[in-house]
Amino acid sequence: MNSGPYKILLVDDDKLFLKLMVQVFRKSGFDCYEAASAEEAIMFLDRKDPPHIILSDYDMARMNGLQFRSFLMQDEVFKNIPFVFLTFFSDSDLMIKGLDLQAIDYIIKNTPVNVIVSKVNNILLTVDKQRELSELEIRKAANSLNIKSIPTQAPLVADFTINYWHRAYKEIPGGDFIDFIPVDEQYTFVVLGDVMGKKWKAWFFTFGFLSYIRSAIRYAAFNQEYSTAKILQQVNKVICYDDVLKDIFSSLSLLLIDSGTGRIVYSGAGDLPLLLYNAAQNKVSTISSSGLLLGLMADGSYSEQEIILSKGDKLFTFTDGIIEFADTTGKKSDYNGFAQQLQQWLSNGEGFAKIKRHLEQEQDNQQIDDQSIISIYKDQG
Amino acid sequence: MISIYHEDNLNLLLNLRIKDANMGNADEFKASLLELFNTHQNKKLILSMADVEYIDSSFLGALVAVLKHTITHKSDLVLVALRKDVSNLFALIRLDKVFKIYIDFDEAFAQ
Repeated sequence: MNSGPYKILLVDDDKLFLKLMVQVFRKSGFDCYEAASAEEAIMFLDRKDPPHIILSDYDMARMNGLQFRSFLMQDEVFKNIPFVFLTFFSDSDLMIKGLDLQAIDYIIKNTPVNVIVSKVNNILLTVDKQRELSELEIRKAANSLNIKSIPTQAPLVADFTINYWHRAYKEIPGGDFIDFIPVDEQYTFVVLGDVMGKKWKAWFFTFGFLSYIRSAIRYAAFNQEYSTAKILQQVNKVICYDDVLKDIFSSLSLLLIDSGTGRIVYSGAGDLPLLLYNAAQNKVSTISSSGLLLGLMADGSYSEQEIILSKGDKLFTFTDGIIEFADTTGKKSDYNGFAQQLQQWLSNGEGFAKIKRHLEQEQDNQQIDDQSIISIYKDQG
Repeated sequence: MISIYHEDNLNLLLNLRIKDANMGNADEFKASLLELFNTHQNKKLILSMADVEYIDSSFLGALVAVLKHTITHKSDLVLVALRKDVSNLFALIRLDKVFKIYIDFDEAFAQ
């Protein structure tokens, strides 16, 4: 559902009628934008912030309503804005021409204004409903195929506690993916990735990446070769040669927990540096990797490093949505700000449940991407 | 979105005229930049990002895709005038090792 007021673009060269319509729609809670000609409307339209609906007069000088609609149909973004004709004519030829251009409806201009508002409201509700249904269908299909990019629970690993939190951007699955792959009682792989892009488009590709990663891990485990760097190198090579994933890139943090020795092996591909909380020193520090984004180039310069956690130490890996936010001055990306925030929470002795609550409290309008975070705590035990 | 600042036999100097580089304009940016590259004899692209205050991962993906395309055609995409926040993000995810990045057009030109 649309969360704020609907934005409507009203286009009419009859300035008196245009003024009347703006007044009525504004009174009904719409954000109104007006244009006295189709040309003016085209100048106004912004692909980044399109209106929810366009209500346009048919009979205008120079570019008429049909020509305006034809122009919009050539644009990938504008053609999807619901378009309604306002006309004095009830001409069936005109209606057919308009329907060929996928106009949603016609409204005769002498219709009472409150009826015009009701009609527009009904159209917008139908469009919203349709969108929800389409998303629901995709979700159902994904569920029935049992394809998930986020697991339903964290694994149990001796001497460690693993937690995670994920929130999709605008409640639509996106490019973040998480996986936990227990190989045996000793080894567990932790995977956190982020396919560049947002919403469905990115989500679709997460499965390609996940399949390759799972296969490479299984193959390595089968050969008892527990090198995260080699696994990344192998995954990256395959992705670079996969035409379907051409120009699709992903970050990845790959960690191997060895509960036999208590060590963690880490390799990263274009991921954000991990944050490590040292309990004895009450200090958060960063752990950076050298690897490049998956899919970027065949030699991704992957290396691995060993991380030893002492009792009470905590390791965090997260995607860029965690450090990005929007405020009144615009969008921001603040890694250091998040590190300081985390330091404060951990210094206060807050556990993951509380950290999760802090993250959840962030307002929807501040979130600008998928958000995912995984924590690995070394038990006090 | 992209304006030509200067052109010589080898280089095409460009200004990226957006503040918020995100998913909404990433596809259009990629298509425009590729078209400029293809219609200007595969010259080296030197892109000023002085206006860009925020960049998201979709837009980074578009930049990387164009870089790959230019390298395949034995050319390059060079970035100049990155703001601090954008520059920090590039360093965090190692894109500073992938792109040649300079302070301004003069420094890029001198290389």
